[in-house]
Amino acid sequence: MNKDIVSGLVLLVIAGLYHRASGAIADSTLADEVGAAGLPRLLTIALVMLAGILIVRAMFAPKPVAIAVRTKEASGDAVEDDARMPRALGFLLFGAAYIALLPLIGYIAGVALLIGAVALYEGAPRRWTVPIAAIGGALLYWAIFVKLLGVNQPVGSLFQGLFS
Amino acid sequence: MTTFWSMLHLLTATPLVPVALIGLTWGILGGALPGISASITMALVLPFTYTMDPAMAIALLACVYIGAEYGGSIPAILIRTPGTNSAAATVIDGYELNRQGRAGEALGISLMSGVVGSLFGLVMLIMLTEPLSWLALAFKPTSYFGLGILGLSVIASMTGGSLVKGLAAAVIGLMIATVGTDPISGVTRFTFGVPDLLNGIEPVLVMVGLFALTELMSQSGSSNVLKLNASVRIRLPSLAMMNKLKRSQFIGCILGTFEGLTPGGGGSIAAFMSYNEARRWSKTPEKFGKGSEEGVAAPETANNTVASAALIPLLSFGIPSSNSTAVLLGGLLMHGLLPGPRLFEQNPQVIDSLYLGSFIAIIAQIGIGIVILPACVWLVNRPRPYRAGFIFALILSGIYTLNNSLFDLSIALCLGIVGYLMRIAKFPFLPMILGVVLGHMIESSYRRSLVLSGGDHGIFLEDPIAVGFLLFAFGFVIFSLTRELRDARKPKIQEAHS
Repeated sequence: MNKDIVSGLVLLVIAGLYHRASGAIADSTLADEVGAAGLPRLLTIALVMLAGILIVRAMFAPKPVAIAVRTKEASGDAVEDDARMPRALGFLLFGAAYIALLPLIGYIAGVALLIGAVALYEGAPRRWTVPIAAIGGALLYWAIFVKLLGVNQPVGSLFQGLFS
Repeated sequence: MTTFWSMLHLLTATPLVPVALIGLTWGILGGALPGISASITMALVLPFTYTMDPAMAIALLACVYIGAEYGGSIPAILIRTPGTNSAAATVIDGYELNRQGRAGEALGISLMSGVVGSLFGLVMLIMLTEPLSWLALAFKPTSYFGLGILGLSVIASMTGGSLVKGLAAAVIGLMIATVGTDPISGVTRFTFGVPDLLNGIEPVLVMVGLFALTELMSQSGSSNVLKLNASVRIRLPSLAMMNKLKRSQFIGCILGTFEGLTPGGGGSIAAFMSYNEARRWSKTPEKFGKGSEEGVAAPETANNTVASAALIPLLSFGIPSSNSTAVLLGGLLMHGLLPGPRLFEQNPQVIDSLYLGSFIAIIAQIGIGIVILPACVWLVNRPRPYRAGFIFALILSGIYTLNNSLFDLSIALCLGIVGYLMRIAKFPFLPMILGVVLGHMIESSYRRSLVLSGGDHGIFLEDPIAVGFLLFAFGFVIFSLTRELRDARKPKIQEAHS
């Protein structure tokens, strides 16, 4: 299916969900003429209209004329992004794991694991340099964020006794 | 005289000088990394500014912007890969000079042209911003509503690609802005019982998610073939050479200022336009494309001029004209600073430190640009897998500093996915970011206007400024729609890869 049609359908779903959620906005005695739900209603209508235009335009757009080219490489960033989508989304799983583990293992261990895991995922050779870089990076960031900037990064429940 | 003492106070009693130098250094390093644009470099540093004094924070962001514009030219000249989009035009002659063994000379021309452009842009910024901002004193709530709509429509029309997609992105941005507590009645909206959402979704999360995380995801799995020559050293141009370059630098300054003032203009358009005009007016146009010094000077002057000139519409009216200025607006709003005449009245130290910090950064760029080159080369030559890990950890650590909240990290990751899908479907980011940033202003001015009129929409027609802005917005949309429909009728050529 044409990418614009898919985009239009996704926009319609977003508009539907947004409209449904806007139904839960409570009335207030302080409300003005428009009310807290006024703008959300307008935005829903606008998004439905734009999604409709996108779908209709994609359906009636002239079909592309194919020409042969010599290169074997696909052109354009979007084509490459398409092919790399599973890999790119996998990248974010490390972020999700970091968020889940941070309260447990704390900042230093969390950052070290994150740097090491991402480096290996991105193709770093499995050598001793990976843990060295990961631990060095974690200590560097700990020095910057915790010691220099005074940010309260999580210590981690596993190491709570060690630092408290 | 007051200004003099204020400047002296900033120099002696505040950490402005180190802030400007750190910002500049960070900007050059970030800009030198291919794929890390000026806006990403700024977005990465944005969370750090959260706990800083507002004046220092804004000066830091402006200096990062200045540094990143120069930094982008380093890989453009050395490996034919622009570090930032606006350095793309520098590749043409910069890399040719490198191939002729004149990389140091090309880097020197780029550095000095950047300094000339930045200084010119700064003078324009100082001269034009405050007088323009006083126009905003005549603004009523209806005018601010019109201005917000104009900003969104112009950006949606001018960011390239489809107008419909640009407008849809703006609407989604406005939808994100409605999350949290309603500005008029105090009712909560779209919080789903999550206390972290009561204050809404901060624009900085949207910027970091869309710009930085999306870029990291897009680069995932790409090969690491970049290697800079570690022995290159910058050679500053002689006075005779600077004299020879003055025509192309002048062209860069003029077009850079024009594009900086134009919403959606940006450094890359200014750079390419300046390159073309410099070739047209050159005494040796035949050298362009074959290693012309003017071919490096014109685009570098232009994109550095844009870095300062683009702040004029931002500081005067609160309308950012590019991704980088949108990040700077995010920084202003994060510190509770609203652009416009009140910023000049109530927070003059912010403006003074922005001007003085930028000036320090521009002058220091000559020295730091030379000293930092080996560090840039070292950084770019690091294996990409390690770089990705370090940048990802930096992003997540930075976001956590905002509110010490893991929830913010989850929001940023979700926005990274949204940005990646938008990129695949070719939806522009800037309208969405502007929607988030301007959403509050648009909604509250709209509703305040209707409170004043008792619900009568005719109030918008009674304000000539609002009428003017809305007519311009309508004109931009119609113009872009007509152009898009005309283009849509033409059959597209699709490459069939053999």
